[in-house]
Amino acid sequence: MSDLPATAAKSHLAACHMCLKLAPADVHQCPRCGSAMHLRKHDSLQRTLALLITACLLYIPANLYPIMYTDSLGSAEASTIMGGVVLLINLGSAPVALVIFIFSVMVPSAKLMAMFYLVWSVQRQSPIDRRKRSTLYRITEFVGKWSMVDIFVVTILVALVQLGGLLTIQPGIAALLFAGVVTITMIAAENFDSRLIWDNMEEENSAN
Amino acid sequence: MGSEIACQSCDLLVNVAATKHGQSASCPRCGGFLTRCYDNTDQRVLAFASAGLMFLAFASSYSFLSLSRSGVESNITLLQAPAALWSYGMPEVGALVAAFIIVIPATVLTMMAVLCFLINQGRYNPWLVPLAKGVFLGQHWSMVEVFIIAVIVALVKIAAMATVVIGISFWAYAAFAICFTLAVSSLDRYQCWERIEALRAQ
Repeated sequence: MSDLPATAAKSHLAACHMCLKLAPADVHQCPRCGSAMHLRKHDSLQRTLALLITACLLYIPANLYPIMYTDSLGSAEASTIMGGVVLLINLGSAPVALVIFIFSVMVPSAKLMAMFYLVWSVQRQSPIDRRKRSTLYRITEFVGKWSMVDIFVVTILVALVQLGGLLTIQPGIAALLFAGVVTITMIAAENFDSRLIWDNMEEENSAN
Repeated sequence: MGSEIACQSCDLLVNVAATKHGQSASCPRCGGFLTRCYDNTDQRVLAFASAGLMFLAFASSYSFLSLSRSGVESNITLLQAPAALWSYGMPEVGALVAAFIIVIPATVLTMMAVLCFLINQGRYNPWLVPLAKGVFLGQHWSMVEVFIIAVIVALVKIAAMATVVIGISFWAYAAFAICFTLAVSSLDRYQCWERIEALRAQ
């Protein structure tokens, strides 16, 4: 007998993305929960790529425009995402600067790059490091929401720091753009079907 | 068939019948998580969810953070935080933040409590399917733990400019976040749907 792994697709079964029910691949509605069923997510690569490009386009102004304005005794000061990190280092709180740097600068850009790499590698049916790529995808999916930290920080500061003429903080347009980047990359990750990484494995094995 | 799962990240068929209370199963090929089994899911979820909802009620009733400098004071509750963005002409961000930190977690937790209560009754109820769908769709979009970290970062940022006092609501919200995380990790997608199907087949 062959030692080919038995996948659901090979056994002509589709798994419901909502309730994990296995049903014959030609059934279009899940017999258990009624969700729409398909063997693989529809147009997974195109949708993921489209959302990734949208996120990239938003990411540029999100970093260039100010995320908040600090108004202290009549003098207003605008700060961008990177500006906030530099400010925190100057204030002497390097650990917090590191947190913001990791979540608002490193995570979003690393996530975009990782997703582009995954889409590209699936597109050319790459056979290498399938397990590592699966792990990469799971990490990307997991860290996505942590980039919202900076938006929440701005939310708290804007609400709390309202001391009249003494000290006020106002939100900048980058808050909206950056919230868009984070939400759209989360949707992009959700649209990517990681089973595609493994799909061409069986054919290769049987060809050998 | 019955106790087979197709791995969500690589499509391998795995038999998970041998998973026992307290154990979790992951895919032998790609390492992806498959299922976790608890014999007392209903009790766990009901306990964590009702505790969490009570903490959330506390968290939204009292002062969350307050700030003072040279005699001028400012005080916010949990709900005022996203509302401030709204009043500054950013209703989209305000709505998004309110959804991620309050509305979605609270809805998911309520639905989880009702779902587990109904399953615990041991009878099939037509509400089970929509409730379970809502829970598993929504839980991905809750960001309670992210918000806790954000509060800490914000505190460090302001501490240099003014005096901050952490209100009782913050601690209640932190407790809510812990309860939420525990409740979500106690309810397994596969096990929950298997039980709904078993109830329907009765």
